[in-house]
Amino acid sequence: MTRLKIVLAAASLAMMGTVPALAQETLRFGAPLALTGPLADAGAKAKQGYDICVSAVNAKGGVDVGGKKRKLELVEYDYQSETNRAVQIVQRLINVDKVPFLLAPYGSGDTKATAVVAERYGVPMVAASAATKSVFDQNFQNLFGILFPNSMITEGEVAYYKKNAPDVKRVAVLALNSLFPKAIAGDLVESAKSHGYEVVFNTIYSPDTTDFSNVLTQIKALKPDWIYATGYTQDLILIRRQMADVGVDVKILTMTAGPAYPEFADNVKALAENVTTNSWWHQNAGYKDDFLFGSSLKYNEAFRERFKRDATYLEAAATVSCETLVMAIEAAKSISADAVRQVLHEKKFETFYGPVQFGKAGQNDVNAALVMQIQKGKLVVLAPENLKQGTLAIGVPPAP
Amino acid sequence: MALGQYLVNGLLQGGLYACLAVGFSLVWGVLNVVNMLHGSLVVLGAYFTLYGVQQMGLPLYLVVPAVCVALFLFGYAIQRSLLNRVMAQPILITLTLTFGLDLIVNNLILHVFSATPRSLVTDFGALEFLGIRIPVVRIGGMLVAGLLTLLLYWLLRHSRIGRAIIAVRMDRHAAALMGIRIPQIYALTFGIGAFMAAAAGCAVALIYPVTPMMSGVFLGKAFVICVLGGLGSVPGAIVGGVVLGLVEGIGTLVLGPQWATSMGFLLMMGVIVLFPAGLAGRKGYE
Repeated sequence: MTRLKIVLAAASLAMMGTVPALAQETLRFGAPLALTGPLADAGAKAKQGYDICVSAVNAKGGVDVGGKKRKLELVEYDYQSETNRAVQIVQRLINVDKVPFLLAPYGSGDTKATAVVAERYGVPMVAASAATKSVFDQNFQNLFGILFPNSMITEGEVAYYKKNAPDVKRVAVLALNSLFPKAIAGDLVESAKSHGYEVVFNTIYSPDTTDFSNVLTQIKALKPDWIYATGYTQDLILIRRQMADVGVDVKILTMTAGPAYPEFADNVKALAENVTTNSWWHQNAGYKDDFLFGSSLKYNEAFRERFKRDATYLEAAATVSCETLVMAIEAAKSISADAVRQVLHEKKFETFYGPVQFGKAGQNDVNAALVMQIQKGKLVVLAPENLKQGTLAIGVPPAP
Repeated sequence: MALGQYLVNGLLQGGLYACLAVGFSLVWGVLNVVNMLHGSLVVLGAYFTLYGVQQMGLPLYLVVPAVCVALFLFGYAIQRSLLNRVMAQPILITLTLTFGLDLIVNNLILHVFSATPRSLVTDFGALEFLGIRIPVVRIGGMLVAGLLTLLLYWLLRHSRIGRAIIAVRMDRHAAALMGIRIPQIYALTFGIGAFMAAAAGCAVALIYPVTPMMSGVFLGKAFVICVLGGLGSVPGAIVGGVVLGLVEGIGTLVLGPQWATSMGFLLMMGVIVLFPAGLAGRKGYE
């Protein structure tokens, strides 16, 4: 009984004094993460990106809020790759955990769904992995997206192939039936048509598709020069393998965004050769970052030291979404949502990811789209010109 | 020739589906347990295969039987220690129990192997005949799966254990009166179901990039195939698998790939209404 009293007394003391005092020392960002379910791989990558940001901020003493340093902390929950759960978790983060700022869940669809909640409560939310324009067309004041719009990617890419592969005339497009893949495939079709390409095949496939052999046989019969496929990385791996199975040979094979991750090449080995992809960032981008990491290369070095592999655009975007929020809080000298929101709308942030400036709709609209190709097992930047590491190799390896 | 290629694609996929479903069908038919763990057992078999070949450097022909035996023991142990305790309860109880086990096993797989896709990359090439391409790895996978399925069929038809399993499936009370030890037969059947899931997992590791999230997809396919072919019947699983493979293939061509998976479920609904015992099932096992 005495022991119970001591515990209760200690608990009440903690409630009265210690906990609020600790809470004042810490600045918390809410982060719904897809740690299980179909998006688990992307969710784990986003977490690594956030974690390296939090460690770097705390290593330099924390977030400087008007002269007072606060430790940065992430409040994380696994939303199991389910949109409804992500919405519930964002509500919980705002109402129960009382986080003043949010990092968005993975992907365009889940970001769009949760942004409604953030907007309702006026909590600024920075999205690391939403590139679809329709996510940002709701005139929300609290949603900020790091990735620039899909159309900037597809325009840059189509223009590059038009110049560097003039023999390519016919394009086939295959996309997962999900918000981002459908949107970027739609933008690619528009860009291709406007540059005079003939779109010979354009369709979507359902999630959980376990066999692409028939759709690839259909595409083979249409003799395209260029195949553009977008979807989950595991789907793209299967598509690339089954292309070899049914004997589809093309001049250009572009996939978004799987080949940007090392596991794509690990899973298809020789068939990865000459597959092109597009990306929002690469460690060779050469951007300076005076606030946290120094530069793109130094960020990648720090990432590799901690996680034993190179960072992709996905982890980099997650890190920079957290970094931008910290920079905005420091510039605002306050954790008031109004002050930070205003800074996010007005300031241009110079980061290792490149300049970040949120346009009217809240989406970053500066930066350069990268065209990349796997050559001898490594990702090589083909465009833009100032970051170029190699030239386009035409033709993917034929079927064995 | 394109039509021939489409048919071959459908048949190859159907062969894999049959292998995926046969263990699930056996457990459902004999034990009256809808084994929600089945998809995770397939994925576990695939990961064990990858581990044996890539991490331990063992040849595939040694890894496949070892994985199948390991999962047989795992399945046997689960039935003996857990499921046998609730076999007298309504089907919802065993379904919930296997669902819970599935969550645990799947999350353990996710924790140990992570969600990053992994593959057993092979380079066996493809055979080309009259313009139709057949990947060798798929033929190999189908042959192994087909042989194991035939072996299971032979076991059920001609061995004493198989006859005991069939007897329990037909009438467990009468079988018990004849001296058959029902708990052992239950455990053996669940073990065989896990063995077949492991065999399918080995084929999956050769064909697909493996992720823990595939388990739900495989479970869904097994469910559809069982209903199509008829419960508890090995030929039924083969018929159901091949029909599903062909229907998804034709669905892709006629309606587009976005409808391919829905086609299987539509077909399942039709079969439930018109042939409650399945296309190759026997009356009494609806």
